[in-house]
Amino acid sequence: MAVLYLQAFVFIILLGKLMRKIFFGQLRAAEMEHLIEKSWYAVTETCLAFTVFRDDFSPRFVAMFTLLLFLKCFHWLAEDRVDYMERSPVISFLFHTRVLSLLVGLGAVDLYFINHAYYSTLLRGASVQLVFGFEYAILLTVVLMTFFKYLLHSVDLQSENPWEGKAVYLLYTELFMGLIRVILYVLFMFIMIKVHTFPLFAVRPMYLAMRAFKKALHDVIMSRRAIRNMNTLYPDATAEDLASSDNVCIICREEMDTNCKKLPCNHIFHTSCLRTWFQRQQTCPTCRMDVLRLPRPQPPTPPPAQPAQPPMPPNMFQGFQYGWLPNQQPQPEVPPGQSSTASSTAPTTSTTNTPLSSPPSPPFLPPMMPPSPFMPFMYPQPPSSMSGLSIDELHTMEGEERSNIEARIQWLRDIQSLLDGAMLLIHQYNTVATQCSMPGVRIPNPSNTSHSNNNTSQQTDTKNTADVTLNSGSLGGARPKTTSLSNNTKQSSSPVKTEKLGDLSNLGATGFTVTKEEIIPEWHDPRKEEEEEDLHEVRKRRLQKFSSTEGTKADNIDLD
Amino acid sequence: MAGSALKRLMAEYKQLTLNPPEGIIAGPVNEENFFEWEALIMGPEGTWFEGGIFPARLTFPTDYPLSPPKMKFTCEIFHPNIYPDGRVCISILHAPGDDPMGYETSAERWSPVQSVEKILLSVVSMLAEPNDESAANVDAAKTWREDRQKFQEIAQRTVRKSLGL
Repeated sequence: MAVLYLQAFVFIILLGKLMRKIFFGQLRAAEMEHLIEKSWYAVTETCLAFTVFRDDFSPRFVAMFTLLLFLKCFHWLAEDRVDYMERSPVISFLFHTRVLSLLVGLGAVDLYFINHAYYSTLLRGASVQLVFGFEYAILLTVVLMTFFKYLLHSVDLQSENPWEGKAVYLLYTELFMGLIRVILYVLFMFIMIKVHTFPLFAVRPMYLAMRAFKKALHDVIMSRRAIRNMNTLYPDATAEDLASSDNVCIICREEMDTNCKKLPCNHIFHTSCLRTWFQRQQTCPTCRMDVLRLPRPQPPTPPPAQPAQPPMPPNMFQGFQYGWLPNQQPQPEVPPGQSSTASSTAPTTSTTNTPLSSPPSPPFLPPMMPPSPFMPFMYPQPPSSMSGLSIDELHTMEGEERSNIEARIQWLRDIQSLLDGAMLLIHQYNTVATQCSMPGVRIPNPSNTSHSNNNTSQQTDTKNTADVTLNSGSLGGARPKTTSLSNNTKQSSSPVKTEKLGDLSNLGATGFTVTKEEIIPEWHDPRKEEEEEDLHEVRKRRLQKFSSTEGTKADNIDLD
Repeated sequence: MAGSALKRLMAEYKQLTLNPPEGIIAGPVNEENFFEWEALIMGPEGTWFEGGIFPARLTFPTDYPLSPPKMKFTCEIFHPNIYPDGRVCISILHAPGDDPMGYETSAERWSPVQSVEKILLSVVSMLAEPNDESAANVDAAKTWREDRQKFQEIAQRTVRKSLGL
């Protein structure tokens, strides 16, 4: 008996070699590897099947299983061979003949055995033939699948350009065959459990079939989504797009001329290449941007930056005489007269110590100070050409300028309120002064202000300050004039110049402070006691108000 | 015409033949099958593998630029990022999705932008700078980390072996 088995085994091997010679010629290493790997699984499963059908065990039964295994090997080889069509640059006529005849032969054998199994099951009831029938049915799906692939590859080989539809057809064939296989396995499992027992040997292939089906389904869904996305979301690349890039599809490394798509990230690919890639990965091959995450494509190119404000280079204030913006960095090359830049960042700095905060600026200044620091229209002209700047630079520049301008507007508002306060104060002062005609405070006479006072030199600047305030009050308090009037005395003018109008409050406050300390004692006129007190009261209130305004201003600076 | 994978492989072969990068030779094992390549990689100068010529086998899938090829050294090579059986473990050879080491971001994985040349250059730089964070050959990684002297000896031995000495 053993000898018979052995003889049959040798015979089968020889037959296998002959068949292989006829249909395949020399096997490739990869094919051999696949064959051996799959054979092991098949042998294991056959042994498992033996345990289920141990009652029917007979030489005929063994022969049937061996034949099944034998045929399976050829199915796998045929599959591999057809897959190889895709890899080989030259497909000979012999190859076509061999594959075709092999496929036809295998299909016929499968059909015959299915037929045989079907009738034997019908005639003699469920037996081991059920397993064979089912196995051959599965093999038949393999043959059909292989044949279809062969057809697709052949058509592809005939055409000059890669056939775009092939991948889609393949995908749907796989899905369909996967579905049939899963149905077959489920049916088989169901029948086997009913008739015999749980078919352990079919679990692995069933699992594999289900996984393959799931993958095919997933692929089809992904592919459909990719195609839909491509058709709806991504624009076709225009000739200019192609000309501006290097014109080679990164996926297939070939020139792009027509049928190209542009992704939101501006990368261009062949439509067909992109589709096959999207079946696997929904990202841009070049930059890996997730294409599904974007519900809408962004405009192909960001609109050219057109800042609302005239864009200015960040360093444009370098030459700005009166750079006083709080967020402006003190420039190292600031001329002496500009030291206000530093002090303006700390406006709470006492302006009473004028010599400190106003270095020898007056000598450099013309008698009439230009009103420019307060006039927004005196901004320097923006650079005429923006072409040298990149879009990003323009964006940052715009952002900076916006914040600068906002800060500036805020400052101007503060200044305005302070000025209004100062005007009020000046008017009050003026009225009080005229009413009581105090010795230390005269009706303004700008020409002789500093000379006409008969106080000690220590008090000079105090009175000057007061005079200035009075002057400006009498002159109607127009802002520029206030500034220009401040030229009358060097020391008192410097706070105005350097601290800008924002610090006019300080100027006023200074006047008051000093007056309170030094002039008030002089005003000891019993008749004017009441007015004095009124004045005091007003001063106090003003001082309070100014200090609070100072506080808010300081806050603004902090915010800036 | 043949499939796109084949066309691309042919284009890459042409490119590699016309402009061979330094220290790398690669091409199909035979002209009938463009999906099996043989590559010869010279050990980069100034490294432990200097002077060696290491043969490797590249196996491309049918959907090649979409899936990464497999690379396997066919000689003995002692390196933290090369499995003892010769398979190369670098992130660009891993398809997005599977992450054998659990440390790679998808940005380091395979994409059609990669090419044979880039793979081989990556391998050269891997030879020069082993990454012991993700060791494929634990022994090699341990030796490399703890006993450079010994690592050098073994590397030199493999270099001599690769030259048939």
